[in-house]
Amino acid sequence: MAISGFQQKLQSVAGKISSNKYLKAVSDGLMSALPALIIGAFSTLLSGMQFEAYQNFITNTGLKELLELPAQYTTDMVAVYAVFFIAFRLAGAFDKDGAPAGLIALMSFFVLTPTAVMEDTSVLPFQFLGAQGLFVAIIVGLISARLYVFIVNKGITIKMPDGVPPTVAKTFTGLVPGILIVVLFTIVSFLFRMTAFESMHQFVYSFIQTPMQNLGGGFWSLIAMTLVIHILWLLGIHGMLVILPIYLSIWMPLGVENLDAMAAGQELPNIVNTAFAQLFMLLGGSGATLGLAIIMTFMAKSKRYRMLGKIALPGSIFGINEPLIFGLPIVLNPYLAIPFVLAPLTAVIIPYFLMASGMITKLAGAHLPLGTPAFFNAILQGGFVILIVQILMIVVTALVYYPFFRVIDKQALAEEKAAEQ
Amino acid sequence: MKNILLVCAAGMSTSMLVNKMQKAAEGKGEDININATSGGDIKSYIGDADVLLLGPQVSYLKDDYTNQYGGANGIPVEVINSLDYGTMNGEKVLNWALELIDQ
Repeated sequence: MAISGFQQKLQSVAGKISSNKYLKAVSDGLMSALPALIIGAFSTLLSGMQFEAYQNFITNTGLKELLELPAQYTTDMVAVYAVFFIAFRLAGAFDKDGAPAGLIALMSFFVLTPTAVMEDTSVLPFQFLGAQGLFVAIIVGLISARLYVFIVNKGITIKMPDGVPPTVAKTFTGLVPGILIVVLFTIVSFLFRMTAFESMHQFVYSFIQTPMQNLGGGFWSLIAMTLVIHILWLLGIHGMLVILPIYLSIWMPLGVENLDAMAAGQELPNIVNTAFAQLFMLLGGSGATLGLAIIMTFMAKSKRYRMLGKIALPGSIFGINEPLIFGLPIVLNPYLAIPFVLAPLTAVIIPYFLMASGMITKLAGAHLPLGTPAFFNAILQGGFVILIVQILMIVVTALVYYPFFRVIDKQALAEEKAAEQ
Repeated sequence: MKNILLVCAAGMSTSMLVNKMQKAAEGKGEDININATSGGDIKSYIGDADVLLLGPQVSYLKDDYTNQYGGANGIPVEVINSLDYGTMNGEKVLNWALELIDQ
């Protein structure tokens, strides 16, 4: 069979991508830093909720300052957490101790970060510690951890005599690579200071991060990402998992920019971000299948699909839809291939244009945990207007699925009747 | 004591299946321990596992895991049947897992 040969090839390519040590370190590292981002998101959302009475209350009581505080040390410092965990994960992937690699990466990151002087005190501005420093965090995390692994493998460490407690010996293991790597990044930092950019951060932000984000945050990237994720799923590959390094490193900072703008009381800059994907593209899970789960549960005529709908519906509300993907199944099913791609496309295109034309507000951009229920996530990201848009998208996607589902439902019903007789 | 370990992308959908399997296991009167994890955290669970089952969405990891944990001295590494996975047929997957351990 040609399709299964092709599928196998693609599976192994997808497998290679998602088990690539460096890409995996980026997504696992960013995932490890997510709790900080999520706490920060709630802090910004709670302090920024636009109800006048509420705002007056928290401003007058001084609660607002308190509510904003966690965001400053979470969202606004996400690059610091990210650089540690990316290096930690990469060293771990090479079966090395992650903690010293993480520490070295953190030091290297700070060495590259410009300081400022205010009233005779030297200060570290937040500017490049948050979303703006995320690409440097990725680059430094990967390079420093890889160098760490290389140096440890070469055996360039301080050998402790026998009888030294292992913990002590372990501390010294990290020392030689640490010195070499930090010195290297100090030189890099020095070289960038002599250029017009004044720091590696400014250079990477202007020449890599901003162009990538502009590209990745645009309409066509949204379409391309939606297509890639869902076509891979149709072939039985976890599309989201393959795309995760790009998803997290490009769309997540776009959301953080929105949160920052919200905290500063400015207009929200980005339509596309991870919040947008969670609310619309993944409405009920990949394939925007919440609408499908609802029509199955309440409108299916065959017992088989009605039962499956009942199994799938509760999980679907939380964005988990493997029962549909494998139970229906959607994977390698020619009847459902078209709506499985078409439904999420419609579910992202409509809100995109509503936001682009200014008819509805852009999302707050908070990166909420996997499994945050539909409806609740909409209210958090944009209040009741967004909730209505989300409900509308459930209806629209249900309409997309309906004619295709009816065909297989009829077949199943006929089979059930034949079996009864 | 038998340890069954399930792996999927985030450990979420497999944890649903684990619940169903645990219910089925209660009726067996055997001491059976079932865990779900994501691929990234597999190392913390693999030590105790007697059998490693993969969700169909991460079937491409099978070769990788077979090399690492399977083979002649290792434990059985298999992909869960996608229909059983989709319909969350805990009992069937449990019985199959126990068969794999006994082999």
